[in-house]
Order: sequence, then structure tokens, then C-alpha cells
Amino acid sequence: MGIPRALLYYEYYPLWKTFFEELGAEVVLSAKTNKKIIESGLTYCVNEACLPVKIFHGAVSDLIGKVDCVFLPRIISVAKREYICPKFSGLPDMIRSSLPNLPPVIDTEIKLRLSDKTLKEAFIYTGKFITDNIAKIIKAYHKALRAHGDFVAKTQKGVLPAQIFDGYRPPQPKGLKIAVVGHIYNLFDSYANNNLFKRLYQNDISVITPETLQTKIIDESADKLNKKLFWSFARKIMGAVIHFTQTKDIDGVMYIMSFGCGIDSFIADLCERKLKRANIPFYLLVIDEHSGEAGLDTRIEAFVDMLKRRKTNDSDLSAHG
Amino acid sequence: MKSCYLGIDIGSVSTNFVVIDEDKNLIEKLYIRTQGQPIKILKEGMERLKLSIGGERRIAGAGTTGSGRQLAALITSADIVKNEITSHAVAALDFCENVKTVIEIGGQDSKIIIIREGLVYDFAMNTVCAAGTGSFLDRQASRLNIPIEELGGYALKSRNPVRIAGRCAVFAESDMIHKQQTGQSLEDIIGGLCQALVRNYLNNLAKGKKIEAPIFFQGGVAANVGIAAAFEKELKTPIIVPPNYDVMGAYGAALLAKDQVKNKGYTTFKGFDIINIEYMSRSFKCEKCANCCEVVELVADGRVQARWGDRCGRWSDVEQRKQVAHSG
Repeated sequence: MGIPRALLYYEYYPLWKTFFEELGAEVVLSAKTNKKIIESGLTYCVNEACLPVKIFHGAVSDLIGKVDCVFLPRIISVAKREYICPKFSGLPDMIRSSLPNLPPVIDTEIKLRLSDKTLKEAFIYTGKFITDNIAKIIKAYHKALRAHGDFVAKTQKGVLPAQIFDGYRPPQPKGLKIAVVGHIYNLFDSYANNNLFKRLYQNDISVITPETLQTKIIDESADKLNKKLFWSFARKIMGAVIHFTQTKDIDGVMYIMSFGCGIDSFIADLCERKLKRANIPFYLLVIDEHSGEAGLDTRIEAFVDMLKRRKTNDSDLSAHG
Repeated sequence: MKSCYLGIDIGSVSTNFVVIDEDKNLIEKLYIRTQGQPIKILKEGMERLKLSIGGERRIAGAGTTGSGRQLAALITSADIVKNEITSHAVAALDFCENVKTVIEIGGQDSKIIIIREGLVYDFAMNTVCAAGTGSFLDRQASRLNIPIEELGGYALKSRNPVRIAGRCAVFAESDMIHKQQTGQSLEDIIGGLCQALVRNYLNNLAKGKKIEAPIFFQGGVAANVGIAAAFEKELKTPIIVPPNYDVMGAYGAALLAKDQVKNKGYTTFKGFDIINIEYMSRSFKCEKCANCCEVVELVADGRVQARWGDRCGRWSDVEQRKQVAHSG
């Protein structure tokens, strides 16, 4: 069973992996994002898609020839009365029409907008590709949910997904603390964001992300908006940002947006306004295919410099009194 | 011998040198086109500086900035390496401590820096596209066969500037060509181009930022009177182009170097000797993994001084460790 290491892999990999392994399938991941994956993504994917979708195409192409089938769920919504980016609902079709020599595709529809009871049905549908034993599928389903719960609990204790997936142990910088927000697949694909976290650590910055906050906190903060945000991941980002405007326990917020993302273009703007009112510095970092580092370094350095200078000024009242 | 401080700004289009004295007065400034060869131009600049000030002054500290700042710092052993935002803000604040907004348009970057109470409060840089920066204007000037210095003058003569799409350099160019083929005058097209770039800057980069006077306009593009006039028209506020607008980044780097040397008490700057060292940069493709990183080596007189460009640190870390071992 092939799983592309892209997009919602960063959110649901423990869930998928546990489920398939419980059913006796061998799970094969595509390689970590690298130049080859990006290049084949660019070749196969329609030009106007965002970088993460292109990486997804590259990741699927990396699996071709190595697996018996690929898991490409058609994820339409992951919570009641919420949606995710519309590109996800067309993803299996996009892949089928763009990639040649594709192995069989499992494109289970995940649509929890009306009721989350359909989730179990979706799992049974998926499991049937591997076994006819319904009891076994249901057992695997429950175990997978627990694995997902453990994963979420771990991140909410402050362990970043990068650490769980790659065993990467971040240093414990003592300098400023910033929140890095954005879609999960932009935050934790270190190739796509050009080692952003490592660069921040090198500047002695400690980093938190929306994933490290309790679901309850996110929900309560997101509910403070005048109107419910119906994009699940945007709601998470917004909830985190509203939370920060109240606790003010961070020195700044950096938003990672992929070029051309429709959702980010709304949410980043909304975040900026909220944070500005709370006097928390904000920086929007747009990522695309760039591999040059100078531009990124300049932006990170300038942002960190600004935070440092603002902070020293705050604690030193006489400077401009 | 009097002490002075050197600031070097290696940008995409120009490499600038500024030398200031202990009282922050500008002693010497050089503006040289980078021409895609930063190392050669860096040495050329140092050679010219040696001739003009080498006899009577001693460089007591150096700072580098610009997109080539790491390279310049490696070669000169500069005391401080700073990003362009901070350097430009420091320079603007030194010139006028009340400055509230800095518009800086360089070769491939455009920036807005919002300053409040003498501190960088907020900033933005162009995102993925370099539309509306110096290199684009450069290209248009050469396409129209007009010296870049005169481009702004043409814009000022425009009576009915045409509407040009300014969001993307490619769109802007094709729009310009289409208007030119329908017989619009050159002045009106260039006038329209200046307006389009300013519109693009204000709508994209400066979106949501509070632009308050005094407003400084810095960077190479500030030489273009047409752009400055278009800003004044859009913002309905006078724009100040400081006297050394074209080398403000280098000026800021020199100021930062001066402070840095004051704080630590000595300089690491190698002096003019670097002119005699044969520097060479070469690159190779590392094929240890699928990333195929382009690794760059800086070679000084046949010895590898530094490596960078690899994602995993296989090459760059080795050099860094060696350097730590040397200095320790």
C-alpha cells in the first residue's frame, strides 16, 4: 500500500499506517520531498496548482512501480459543517488524469460535513480492498483512531510532528519565542519551506505551532469569530492566532503560505489584522519553487532583528522617553 | 592615521561601498554594477578604495549587507553581516531620526519599512515576483534604447500616461509593447510604467501598512524621478530622496560596523590585502541523495575557505567545524 508523503500525510499518517498494517498490508511511503519529487511534480501537475499539490503529484509518481496500489482518499470534509480546500476533493481525479502507469487507486470518500458517522463506513469501504473480514476491519479502525489520538495528544504536549515522523530532536533555544502558523504540509515539509525551523533555531528562536495547542483552546478561540470559519485547517490557524492575541506569550507570528493558496490569502490577512490590533509582529512568508536561500534568510533575519529590537526597547523605557 | 569604517552592499544590480569617519561623515562612496560577478567587483571596489583613501586612513571595521553579504563577509572577514532591512532602516534613522516610512526599491527586491519611535515596527518585501524592481526598469530602458538615467525624465514629460498592467513584469512588458504598437508616445508609455509600478508597490507590498510622513525613498530606483513623482501623486505627500539614496544600504552597514567594533573592541577585517589573494568560487552537484544540491566552494589561493548550498550540511558543516577548530 503506497502512501504519498505529502499534504495530509502530515496530519493523518499514524491513522492510515496503523489501519493498513493492522489489516496485514505493508505500508510504503514515498521518499521525503527532494528535488526529484518537486521536478516530477512540476512535470505532471497542472501549472496553476500550489506547490504542495505539485509535491503530492511528485510523491505519487515516486511510488509508481514500488507498490500494488496507492491510497488517495478523496477528502472533502474532516469535521461537521466544515470543508477543506476544494483541491482535495478533486485530487484522485487530478492524479489519474496526469500520471501515467498508475497502479490501482483507493479513493475512499471522506465527507464528514453532515455526519461523522460516515467515517466508519469509509474505513470499511477502504478495508474491503484488502480483506472481507469486517470484524478485522472494525478492529483495525478502532486501533487506527487510537493511534491518531495518541499522535494528536503527543503534539499537544509540544512535540512537533517533524519530531514524531523523522525522529528529529530540535534544540531548546532560549531566545525569543515565535509561533509559526500555516497549513500543516507547509510547516512540516522541511524541503518545501527550505529548512525554516532549522533556520529559526539557528537564530536562537524557539518555535510553537497551532498543532501544539490543545483542541479545546483552539475551539474556544475560533468560536470568538463573528462567523464560523468553514475551512477546518484555517479554523485551526485562526483559533491559534486569536489565542495568542489574548495570552501574548509569544514575540511574533510567522505565517507560511504557499503561493497561489486561496484559503491562505484570506486567513493570512485576517490573522494580520487581529495580530496588529494586539500589537504582535506578523510576517507572511510565501513559498514556491525557489531554491535560493538568500531571499529567505534575509526575510527571517530581518524579522528576528525587528523582534529583538522591539523587545529590548520595550524593556528599556528610558531609551526614547 | 585616522580611522574609518567600511560598508559593503552587494546587490543583484549594483555593488556599493561607503566609507565613513568617526563622526559618521561620508568620506567615499562607490556605486559599481555587479554584472553578475560579485567577487571580481568586490576586489575592484577595494582596489579603488585603496587608491583613494588607503594612504591617509585606516579601516577600523567593516560591515556587509545585500544578497551577497555572506560572500562579501567571507572574503573580507567583516565584523558584521546584516540584512538589507536593518541596514536601510539604520541609515535612514541616522539621517533623520523622525523618519516613519522607508520605501526601498533595489535591483531585485522592493521593501517597505515602517518605523515608529526609532525602531523597525513592521516591514514587507516583495514575495515571489520581482516585478517593479530595478532590474525590470533596466531591461525596459535597454529595450527602448534609453539610458536608464534618463528614464525618469521621459516620465515627467508624459501628459497622458497610459494604463499599464503592473502586477507582473511579463504582463507589464507585453502591455507596453502593445501600447507602443498602437502609436502611443514613448513619454506616455514610460509615464504609465512608473505609475503602474507605484500602484503595484502600494497595492501589494504596502497593503494594509500605514504610510506616514516623513517618507524616505532609497535604493537605486530612487534615482528615477518619474517613480518618485508617481509616489508623490499617489500618496499626496512629499517624498524625501536622501542625498546618498543609492548607497544607503552600505551606509547602514558601515554604521553598524562602527557600533560593532566599538562594542567588541577590535576588528576582524582583513584590510586591503584581499586584493592580492586569488579568489575563486566554483560549484559542483552533490549526488549523495536525490536532492542533488548545488554546492558552492569559495577557494582562496587554492585553499577551500567555505562551502555552502547543501541542505543536509554534509559539506558546509565540515568547513564550519574546521574554522572553529582553527580559531579555537
